[in-house]
Amino acid sequence: MTTVRRTLLALAAGVALAAVAWFVVLPRFQSHVFTGTVIQSQTPAPDIALATSTGATASLGDFEDQVVVVYFGYTFCPDVCPTTLSTLKKAVDKLGGASDDLQVVMVSVDPARDTPEMLREYLGFFDPDFLGMTGSEDDIASVATVYGVFFAAEPGTADTGYLVSHTARLMVIDRDGYLKLVMPGDVTVDQLVSDLEYLL
Amino acid sequence: MTITDTPIESISPPPAPSLLRRPWFLSLVAFGVVVVLGALWFKIFEPIQVLPRIRLAPGFSLTDQAGAQVTSEDLRGSVVLYTFTHSACEEPCPAPEPTMAAIRDRIDEVDTGDTPVRFVTLSFDGTDTPAVLTDRAEAMGADGEQWFYATADEARLKAIIGSGFKTYFERLDNGTFAFDPALILVDGRGVVRGEYRYQTLASDTDRILSHIDILGEEVRNSNGPAGLAYEAAHFFLCYP
Repeated sequence: MTTVRRTLLALAAGVALAAVAWFVVLPRFQSHVFTGTVIQSQTPAPDIALATSTGATASLGDFEDQVVVVYFGYTFCPDVCPTTLSTLKKAVDKLGGASDDLQVVMVSVDPARDTPEMLREYLGFFDPDFLGMTGSEDDIASVATVYGVFFAAEPGTADTGYLVSHTARLMVIDRDGYLKLVMPGDVTVDQLVSDLEYLL
Repeated sequence: MTITDTPIESISPPPAPSLLRRPWFLSLVAFGVVVVLGALWFKIFEPIQVLPRIRLAPGFSLTDQAGAQVTSEDLRGSVVLYTFTHSACEEPCPAPEPTMAAIRDRIDEVDTGDTPVRFVTLSFDGTDTPAVLTDRAEAMGADGEQWFYATADEARLKAIIGSGFKTYFERLDNGTFAFDPALILVDGRGVVRGEYRYQTLASDTDRILSHIDILGEEVRNSNGPAGLAYEAAHFFLCYP
């Protein structure tokens, strides 16, 4: 085999390797393809400083070097909240030890009924480590607004009492305190695990 | 000639070929060169452009010019251009409503596929009634459907416009408002994709229209395998 031919073959092999790296390896390992919408914010996530289901007050700064999943819901929620919290619980179980650095937070959009004790009891059904947060309606409205969450009370039935219509999506804050991902409320367990695994 | 007569150097092993002649080394160099050139090509020539995903747009419930409640969830799935004003804003009013009108008039020049484009002007003045909003809307040519005017109570407006849209406004003693003119572009997922924050010029119409076009192209094409290319464009910050 002549030197020229050998060089050309080697160059072709290099180009093939680069193509594989570019289209297969790079997207897979370097820039994970997230299910959630990636936010490229230059500023840290807006703080959430509210009373918690443990009885103390907490803010996002207390979860330094942890990945935080924030969800806005309420304990009387008949459908979407239990489904989403159940998905989160399954994702946590699937993540195993990696979930040690994960904190799930549910901010109540029904502060009139959701006391810290009720939040603790409700979230305990899913996972005792899930943290509930609540406060005055104004405080919660301020937090919800900057997280793109709308909520409003609407009539329910005699059994349910009033209902609260609200935006159902998951906000994922990375270890550095930046809002990294926004995921739809109906995200699957596998999609959630895949994105969280990458961030953890 | 006997074997012992052979010079020592002629029976030594041949010298190793230089590194440049080794196929594995050449493959590695070619690989590196192609990857670097590919990344540079993507970054320099930006075959795909995207708008940055800046932050979440605020969640809200507003009262529009017809007196109806409009929430941020109602606008999900639409590309929305927001601007801010107040009903007492008189000429020369710094609010970029004329720019908004010009963009609305030319919106058919851009292709957003099935994604509708809406225009929302928020009044800083929480005391504006639907009738006042309607007067202002009619003066600016807003039809109440594709482009509508709305407001909310003042405490909520501070959170929506100030904290959410990061736009300064303040009520003055004479009842009018000091404010920074701004146009904010939000995608169908409720993410801020463009901010235009100075006294707008006529050319801003072209710029914002081109940005809406880029957004429309991303919405139309970023599903399936093509989504990878769009994520790469975000990764390499291929912004206009």
